[in-house]
Amino acid sequence: MMWRIKLLGLIAAFLVMFLPSFTVAQGFSVFPAEVKIDDLPPGQGAEFELTIRNKDEIAHNFTFTTFQPPEEERRAGRAEFPDESWVSFSPQEIEVPANSETNVAVMVAVPREGRWTDQDWEIWLGVASESTDLLAVKLYVRLLVSTSATGPNTALVGGIAAGIVLISCGAYYYFRRRTKPQRV
Amino acid sequence: MRVAITSIILAITLALVFSLPALAQDSATITITMIGLNEISITLDKTEWSLGEVASNTEYETSPSIEWCTLTVQGTCNVNTFIVGDDAKWVDNPNDYKWTLSNDGSNGEHIYGLWFRISGDTEANGRGYVPITKTQSEFWPYPGGPGSSLAPGDTKQFGLRLLTPTYFYSGRQMQTQITISAAAA
Repeated sequence: MMWRIKLLGLIAAFLVMFLPSFTVAQGFSVFPAEVKIDDLPPGQGAEFELTIRNKDEIAHNFTFTTFQPPEEERRAGRAEFPDESWVSFSPQEIEVPANSETNVAVMVAVPREGRWTDQDWEIWLGVASESTDLLAVKLYVRLLVSTSATGPNTALVGGIAAGIVLISCGAYYYFRRRTKPQRV
Repeated sequence: MRVAITSIILAITLALVFSLPALAQDSATITITMIGLNEISITLDKTEWSLGEVASNTEYETSPSIEWCTLTVQGTCNVNTFIVGDDAKWVDNPNDYKWTLSNDGSNGEHIYGLWFRISGDTEANGRGYVPITKTQSEFWPYPGGPGSSLAPGDTKQFGLRLLTPTYFYSGRQMQTQITISAAAA
């Protein structure tokens, strides 16, 4: 009985608050909702802009992130983007005044490697308004990236390799002829 | 001597022949398409839930329970929506104490459950209450469900349920965040 009273007392003391008051959610939009980059050669970058429109009566800070969507959410034929660090935002976060819009630059850079040629990837770009409210909104922009079919490395390395082999052959024959004993 | 010079010239020529496509590749045209010139936007008519003090191992529901908050699709494109939760952290010292969000809506010591339910989505014709976890999952539509993507102007009403931990430290103001997101359908 004593134990029960103690427990009830403890439970009554376990107090917590989810932040009080009601507010209307901040309204914002992102344009465009989907971006497609075609023929991006590995080793090169592409840049485009997102427009963030703050429809609220006060300024808001917006942050930008990347998100790897699960396979069932990706467009047909699109694979997971190999490395989120290949996508960057400038700036990483920005304050947008009330009832106005601003642009954010997005850079996509794929390393110069033969294995990244002829690929079709998808990654989502997340835009969120900084908030401590219980409910928050995040908007995703679908980014579809297709790399070009021929990578620069294959041809370059092939050319250099062929050159080295032929130079070696030439040098070999040249020195062989020079060192050949002359007939008297 | 003549053979050597010929070989070197041949080697350079071949190297250039192979390298030219690579050099040309550096000036290839990259196409960037802003598909459909669509604008994406959703709004919620409530962002906070006034709960006040809560007891352990107790369920709390928003009022009205499943028509508490309205999600409205704005912008110009159809969207799929998602939901993800997080641990509840002590406001005074977020790194010092938290309630871990369970991955199935259940509770435990310092572990709490969060659920959502969309109006009209009953257990008979849909999912009923659905646990909110730290892994992003479908809000609407959902796999195997009756609905389709939400079009501009569409709305969805929903409510939340909180299941407090079976044991937690008292007198601490806890704060968490549920993110509702949208992507073009």
